[in-house]
Amino acid sequence: MTSTLTLDRVTYRYDGTKKNVLRGISAAFEPGKVYTIVGKSGSGKSTLLSLIAGLDVVDGGQILFDGDDMRTLDRDAYRARGIGVIFQGFNLLTTATAVQNIVLSMNISGSRVKHKKQHAYDLLAGVGIDRETAGRPVLKLSGGEQQRVGIARALSHDPRIIIADEPTGNLDQATEDEILRIFTGLAHEEGRCVIIVTHSRRVTAVADEVLGITAGRLGVVKKDQGPPRKAAVSGGPS
Amino acid sequence: MYILNNALANVWRHKGRNALLGAIILVVIAASVVALMISSTATSIIDDYKERFSAEVTFVPDMEKVREEAMAESEDGMVRMVMPTIDADQYLAFGESEHLADADFTASTGVVPEDLTPVAADLGGGSGMMTMGGGGPGESMFESEPMSFTASLQGNKLAEFDDGSRALAEGEMPDADGEALVSTELAELNDLSVGDTLHLAGELRNIDEGALESIEYDVTVVGTYDDLTDEYGTSPQQNAFTNRRNEILTTYDTVLSNYVAGMQGMQVAATFYLEDPDLLDAFTEEVRAEGLPDVFDVTTDSATYNAIVGPVEGLKSVSVTFMIVVLVFGGVIIALLSSIAIRERKYEIGVLRAMGMKKSAVGLGLWSEILAVTAACMLLGLAVGSLVAQPVTDVLLAGQIQAAEEAAAAAEAQGTGGGMGMQMGPMGGANQADPDAEPLADLAVALTPGTVGQIAAVSLGLATLAGLTSLGRITRYEPIKILSERN
Repeated sequence: MTSTLTLDRVTYRYDGTKKNVLRGISAAFEPGKVYTIVGKSGSGKSTLLSLIAGLDVVDGGQILFDGDDMRTLDRDAYRARGIGVIFQGFNLLTTATAVQNIVLSMNISGSRVKHKKQHAYDLLAGVGIDRETAGRPVLKLSGGEQQRVGIARALSHDPRIIIADEPTGNLDQATEDEILRIFTGLAHEEGRCVIIVTHSRRVTAVADEVLGITAGRLGVVKKDQGPPRKAAVSGGPS
Repeated sequence: MYILNNALANVWRHKGRNALLGAIILVVIAASVVALMISSTATSIIDDYKERFSAEVTFVPDMEKVREEAMAESEDGMVRMVMPTIDADQYLAFGESEHLADADFTASTGVVPEDLTPVAADLGGGSGMMTMGGGGPGESMFESEPMSFTASLQGNKLAEFDDGSRALAEGEMPDADGEALVSTELAELNDLSVGDTLHLAGELRNIDEGALESIEYDVTVVGTYDDLTDEYGTSPQQNAFTNRRNEILTTYDTVLSNYVAGMQGMQVAATFYLEDPDLLDAFTEEVRAEGLPDVFDVTTDSATYNAIVGPVEGLKSVSVTFMIVVLVFGGVIIALLSSIAIRERKYEIGVLRAMGMKKSAVGLGLWSEILAVTAACMLLGLAVGSLVAQPVTDVLLAGQIQAAEEAAAAAEAQGTGGGMGMQMGPMGGANQADPDAEPLADLAVALTPGTVGQIAAVSLGLATLAGLTSLGRITRYEPIKILSERN
């Protein structure tokens, strides 16, 4: 199957540091699959996610989206339409209501949905946010509710790739199961590519492929094996 | 469109911050409204008065200089003071100046109407020449005495029809060359009626060379006029020639048709209107170069203008200075507040950028937001400014008038003591303001469309300043950095 997203010997180093956080990472993400990336804190998971999300650019190697180097793409448009990102810290507009966050995301992406507000309510209902809660400013929602709003927002513009950083960290088990059902449905039924950074075994359990990241290197871990004990290195040191 | 909608929603979402910014903008706009209303009203009044007093240029003979010249040139003890004239050719040349907005020409000459009895015939005629000192007529270089005129032919001298002191009684105003108006008194005395032709004789002389030139006019009476002017006006001599009821009014070109260069006896005058009163010096320099004799002063009635409009000019100056100060300080405060506001909203900007909103769209949104706040402040500012403008104007103008009066009193006291500070005018007297000239004590300020436009421009400028400050900040922000800082 053709890869939607390809990492080709990706390296990255933070400004002012000498050590690479990511060291020659290569991977291919295909549509219709759920991927989870696991690893210890500081291993470079979130950095990798930022690069995939188009929030930052690689120092070496390349990230290809549908075969195009991310560095040559309009990254604003890529973020607006190509992917849906669920941030660990939610990153919602706190003074706006939940539904306003969703509608704004649809507007930025140039979504052609006719009844955007109703669509936003439907998306929120899909993650367990009722209409009354949807009309409240995000600042007045609980962490779990904000996380759900973040998920709904990521889905609002119908992206081909969904990436999530600990998307179920603030959810109860029942809602987590519901969200995971949505993710697997998006991948298996709608053919989207879902990439989740997680520590949760429940999440890795539903993944088609589990990738482990250790010391800036990415390896493939067999499905249903849980967090990697030993990652297979896919790239050399940079 | 969604950018605008989101911006409008943000006005309310960030109401505390926007209220603070709005309050500053409101103060700046309201102060600007007051200042601009005062300035615009003052400007229109100043322009009007400038047009009336300062733009109209006249060439006034300085009689002191005329007398001095006549005395210096006298060789036989007889001082002949001849009213200096400016050649028609010179007047026409002056009229070509690029500094002029308009020129109004008049001409006149003494005549003797054939077969007509002038008004006040018993007082005899006159020559228009004044003689002083010793010597007798027999010592003149002319073989004949100057012609004794009993009437005058006036070209384009119709200003008094505008102020109502003369009015058309019958017929029509002279329009074509050779057409003339006569006074009702002269018409009745000689049984003249519209359509009659008058034969007028006159003469031009060159005193220096003893040259003499006879001139004749045939004019057709096209109407009569009622005359409420003083019969002799300001003339020191009273005779048929100086009697204003004997003035035959015709066109400028009719009078000038007998003009002979270098000959005296035909007075040509012109009133020139400058494009700008400040061009007086440049115009004076130009006409002097064209040959305007030194005995003529080139003047405008600036003293009266200053007496009337001085306080208003002071008021305008105060209001403009005030506005500049308010705009500068207000602008700095708005820029600082905007900068702080954007720093506080860095996270929001990071989220929008992470969602794929372009920097330009984020900037446009912030600018729209501040523009919405500014628009509301502008409407409120226009209302508040309009309400307080008149009382503020009254207080400021009263202060200006008081200051002008104190300055005038001080100058008068100084002048009385030492005789200094007096500018000599064209008639040899002080170039002082008309004693009846009262300073403008009332200034009814009004909100004109022009002022509203200026306020809109000021508002747009303030909003753009705030928007640019925001944009300047935004360009430094990368979403990944903002969000990682936040998280």
